[in-house]
Amino acid sequence: MQFRRPIGFRQLRTRLTVLYAGLFAVAMLCVASLLYGVVVHNSKAQVRQELIANGTVFDRLWGQQTSQLRGAAGLLARDFGFRAAVATNDRNTIESALANLRQRVGLRTAFIVDVSGNVTGLANAREAREASALSTRLDEGVTAGVATLGGQAHKIVAAPIMAPALTGWVVFAAELDRHEMRGLERLSAIPLRAAVYQRRDDGNWIGADESTRGPDAAMSHFIQMNWRQSRPAEIDRPGGLTIALAKPLPAVPGAPPAVLLLQYPMRLALGPYRPLEIAIAVIGVLGLVLVVAATWRMARSITLPISLLDAAAEKLADGQLASVPVNSRDELGRLAATFNRMSADILEREQRITHLAFNDPLTGLPNRAGFNQHLDHQLRLVERRGGQVALLCIDLDNFKAINDTLGHPTGDELLRRIAARLGEGLGDVFIARLGGDEFVLVRPFDGETNAVDDLARRALAVIEPAIHVGEHVLDNKASIGIAIAPADGTNNNNLLRSADLALYKAKEAGRGTYRFFEESMNALAQARRTLEIDLRQALANGEFELHYQPLFHLAADHVGGFEALLRWKHPARGYISPVEFIPIAEETGLIVQIGSWVIQEACHQAARWPEHIRIAVNVSSIQLQRPGLGHVVLQALQNSDLRPDRLEIEITESVFLDHSDQTLQLLHTLRGLGVRIALDDFGTGYSSLSYLQSFPFDKIKIDRSFVVALQSRPGASAIVKAIIDLANALGMETTAEGVEEDNQLAILQKQGATSIQGFLFSKPLPADEATRLLKDKLKLRAA
Amino acid sequence: MFVWSVAALPVSAPAADLEVQVQGQNATAVPGAVVTVHLIGRPTPRPRPAGSYIIDQQDIQFRPFISTIPVGASVMFMNHDPVRHHVYSFAPARKFELKLASRQQNQSVQFEKAGIVPLGCNIHDRMIAYLAVVDTPWAKTADAGGRLVLRGIPAGAATISIWHPYLRAPGNSVTRVVTLADAKVHAESFIIPMRPPPRDPGTAY
Repeated sequence: MQFRRPIGFRQLRTRLTVLYAGLFAVAMLCVASLLYGVVVHNSKAQVRQELIANGTVFDRLWGQQTSQLRGAAGLLARDFGFRAAVATNDRNTIESALANLRQRVGLRTAFIVDVSGNVTGLANAREAREASALSTRLDEGVTAGVATLGGQAHKIVAAPIMAPALTGWVVFAAELDRHEMRGLERLSAIPLRAAVYQRRDDGNWIGADESTRGPDAAMSHFIQMNWRQSRPAEIDRPGGLTIALAKPLPAVPGAPPAVLLLQYPMRLALGPYRPLEIAIAVIGVLGLVLVVAATWRMARSITLPISLLDAAAEKLADGQLASVPVNSRDELGRLAATFNRMSADILEREQRITHLAFNDPLTGLPNRAGFNQHLDHQLRLVERRGGQVALLCIDLDNFKAINDTLGHPTGDELLRRIAARLGEGLGDVFIARLGGDEFVLVRPFDGETNAVDDLARRALAVIEPAIHVGEHVLDNKASIGIAIAPADGTNNNNLLRSADLALYKAKEAGRGTYRFFEESMNALAQARRTLEIDLRQALANGEFELHYQPLFHLAADHVGGFEALLRWKHPARGYISPVEFIPIAEETGLIVQIGSWVIQEACHQAARWPEHIRIAVNVSSIQLQRPGLGHVVLQALQNSDLRPDRLEIEITESVFLDHSDQTLQLLHTLRGLGVRIALDDFGTGYSSLSYLQSFPFDKIKIDRSFVVALQSRPGASAIVKAIIDLANALGMETTAEGVEEDNQLAILQKQGATSIQGFLFSKPLPADEATRLLKDKLKLRAA
Repeated sequence: MFVWSVAALPVSAPAADLEVQVQGQNATAVPGAVVTVHLIGRPTPRPRPAGSYIIDQQDIQFRPFISTIPVGASVMFMNHDPVRHHVYSFAPARKFELKLASRQQNQSVQFEKAGIVPLGCNIHDRMIAYLAVVDTPWAKTADAGGRLVLRGIPAGAATISIWHPYLRAPGNSVTRVVTLADAKVHAESFIIPMRPPPRDPGTAY
């Protein structure tokens, strides 16, 4: 519930309570004000009616009193004796009769005015004067009304004295004072206030009992506005709103007008409703308390589960297991249940994801991420507490071949077995698989590196025993590179690179062994990187050139061909050894482009030489793996117009380790074109006679190690002889490499090698020198 | 019913006749207005009562309403009604009470002093009549047309007084001084303010 958020409640419960309490209060206020309005309206109407009714009652009362007084006056006026007394002006008798009358009627003032204006019965001179003035009015026929006597409003009632002609009047004057009014008030059903007001000459209305209090301007104005209509109206009095009725009284003509003012304060009218108001207020307050209490309670039943859910969700957000109790079967209960299920699912999934993220699904070992995390942790420990951490990078030496030749399932199974062996055999060491056949071990240690040596040796020993996978029996060897933190690197990347370099060195050292990282490795690696960058430029910059080493045909006694050898003339460093840059070119794949350049260049050069001169080109296994070699060869032959059988492709036995089927097919295709295929470095590495059987090589090149050994090792001559004989038997030519001395030549000649190659005859030469050699130095002994 | 007579007046000086017309303010005749003339500078002779003066009570009324009688005359009250009447007067000129049984017609009252004598009945408030007891031989009650003629008034200055119970003036009377010439008919016209007659004397007002 997001309104425009006028008040921010931290709790839903408070908000609900305030909302409901507010609504209830508003409803109660509406009811109360409506009720109050009705009550006030009704009270006013009632008071108005009451005032009108009282006005009428007063009229009747006034009339009754008038006729009563008139009756009393008339009685006296008609009394024979009294008339006789008046007629004879017997004052004593008259006074006594009047006194008798006053007593009988209960009035203070009763007097006689005769037709001449003589007054009897009033002691006060001013009153007598006023009474005398009355005679004129009485003579005109007015016998009742309000007149002023002694400054006070009086009700005057007169009866004529006929003796028998009109002699005078018996006059009663009732003062319209508080006392009189109280009598009137007592007759009313409601406690109203009655007062008589007279208008003075200055226009102000003055109450009969106001002389001591002074004029009341507001009331005077009210009467002035309302007295003619004689309807109830409202006026604000000091005691609150008052409803008043100004009723004109019949005045004696010439006397100031007079009104009867009936007032009724609303306060009194509303008085009877006071208990009702109190009751409503009490009910409202009680209701409000009940609503607040009930809402608070009910909101708790709603918000408590929500609060629990809120807290649980917060916990879940922090990655902890969170659950809430399910107490009900309503929406909240279902929500809680769903939340619990969701929370459990999320955590389980998170654990699975975490596991996947940090573990290798194949072996169950930690993966690269897991390794990074662990190593990072260890490195930080070292940083903080000192000590050292050894990182061992293990690479299976022949895994690639196994994977390629026996298939991935076998390779995967092998990896699983190796992983299992490492786990079982190495004890408390962190083992991870970074990918492929790359395993790492992490182990903190103190002081002696012997422990690390020991670990590496044990790892090699654990891996080494043959593994049966299906029908295959796999021999395993591994190389291990070791880096020690913090000396060889203080972060994951540095340390791993150091270990990799050490691994590289171990491989170089002939595999199946381990090497510690040394600082020089790092420099070497740096140099390699620089070289790699330069190498990428070299082809475009034309820094490569081919040198040609002649192959001397022994039987023909002339140069039978050249082996094209790649030379890189670095602009800064001069000639760089192929031993240095060829591995880089192979690693980076640059060898493919460089290789095709070599083939083309060699073919072009060969085309300029005599017909019998062949050109031999080395092709690496990388080139054979990549598609397009056949195309390159074909194009080179076409472009140079070289006869295919003048081109000789030299491959090493290692090409058969990788993709042997494809390679064989390609070689057959090339050979089908007429291109000759020679097996280079025969007798080293994995030399296997099965290769000779699997492909019809045109030539076998006997490795220089055999040639060098001819003089020093007794068996070497026999091996060379066997090779040559074997080749001859298979119809293959032979070339002995690395011939440097005459007696070597002599032996080879004797054993029947087809051709020789070596410094004895010529070192590799630039193209123009090679061409010159062909002209000048055709004979072996010519030099 | 009464007989009014001024016979046997001494004729000693030249005399004049006086015609009087009495009207109200709206030119209506005022019947029953009593006109009296007194001489100025000379003694006014006393009238001599002659004949009988009668006031009847008939139908709970005095008749006539207004009578003029000379000083010393006696008035006979004759009750023709089948009820009793209690005739009274509080007038200073003559106070009396007469209790008249029904159809009693033999009571008389002598009036020795001049003045207006209102007559009432103590039993019947409605009943009222006026006797003008005059001390001059020249006095008369106006007829239905408000007229009257007084004869044989000696020439010279005289006061004419008009009286009527409804005349709005002190003493219900107005007076005028005139000079009467010898052997002439002198005409005087009076317009007097009148009160409305009480509707029911005694109860009204």
